[in-house]
Amino acid sequence: MLRNAVRTLCLILLGAGLFQSAHARPVSYPGGWTSMQQNNGNYSALHLHYSPTAYDSIGLYSERNWTQDWHFTGLQYNRLINRWNTPNSQANLYLKLGAGQADPFGAAEAELAGFLGVGADWETRRWFVSYEGRVYDTGFGQDARQSARIGLAPYIGDYGDLHTWLMLQIDHNPEVDTPVKLTPLVRLFYDVQLLEIGYTPEVEELLINWVIRF
Amino acid sequence: MKQIQAGLLALSFALSPTAALADTPSAQTESAKTSDIVAKVNGMVCDFCARAVSKVFGKNEAVDMVYVDLDAGEIHVDLKPGQTLDDATVAKLIKKSGYDLVTIERAEA
Repeated sequence: MLRNAVRTLCLILLGAGLFQSAHARPVSYPGGWTSMQQNNGNYSALHLHYSPTAYDSIGLYSERNWTQDWHFTGLQYNRLINRWNTPNSQANLYLKLGAGQADPFGAAEAELAGFLGVGADWETRRWFVSYEGRVYDTGFGQDARQSARIGLAPYIGDYGDLHTWLMLQIDHNPEVDTPVKLTPLVRLFYDVQLLEIGYTPEVEELLINWVIRF
Repeated sequence: MKQIQAGLLALSFALSPTAALADTPSAQTESAKTSDIVAKVNGMVCDFCARAVSKVFGKNEAVDMVYVDLDAGEIHVDLKPGQTLDDATVAKLIKKSGYDLVTIERAEA
């Protein structure tokens, strides 16, 4: 009962921020702020970051991991390692580093924790492919997860239009009961807001991600 | 179900106020094609990411309006009266926006 209440409260608090997608770009333009939140059956996370350059961003990262019952709070640094621009496509490679504290809620003492992640994406105006892998050391355990996406834009919108993407995400997390999951989702973006809504039928979980650039 | 409820609640928190904050007052878009500067760039395939163009160019004091043409891969810039923007600065602003400059064309005076 108490756990459910805490979980709901955390979701609301995280939701009051904004939604993050692990498959959204973690570096903005110089001087830009971004709020990103991610909600799915495994975890909810909020990342609020600032980009001092077009290649770096740093900010707060908070993740409530539901399946392994811990909460990470700390700083996250993102680095755009490389970008490939062509007339009809763009590809990016990112490094993500986190350091902070993980709290297992009484199962053990809170510990210093950190994570290392890598993200990559390639997109045209019609197609989208991305990957993210991340490993955690929470002090009281380790966690690794990875996910990949493929997306198709059903129509090509111009600048300022509402853009729609139909995507399929595959998640692999060996530490959870269902280590491999498929999630169909819809990505919508308009102006500086990006919203993703998906559903994982095999575990009946909702996915909601939201990104806003300021 | 709790996740759905929390998600809907979060949506209601986030919608209006943040959208208002997200607007950029200094950079506007225009529909006219007769711009002072037309820069052809590589990599501009995403509307959401191309918002950086308006943000970055909008901070420059010489810029009046910015128009992004995703179809053509072009950035159209109108300058304020009496202002100039040299090629090096245009290239720098485009790099900051996340793209690679290909060519610059300028309207004849």
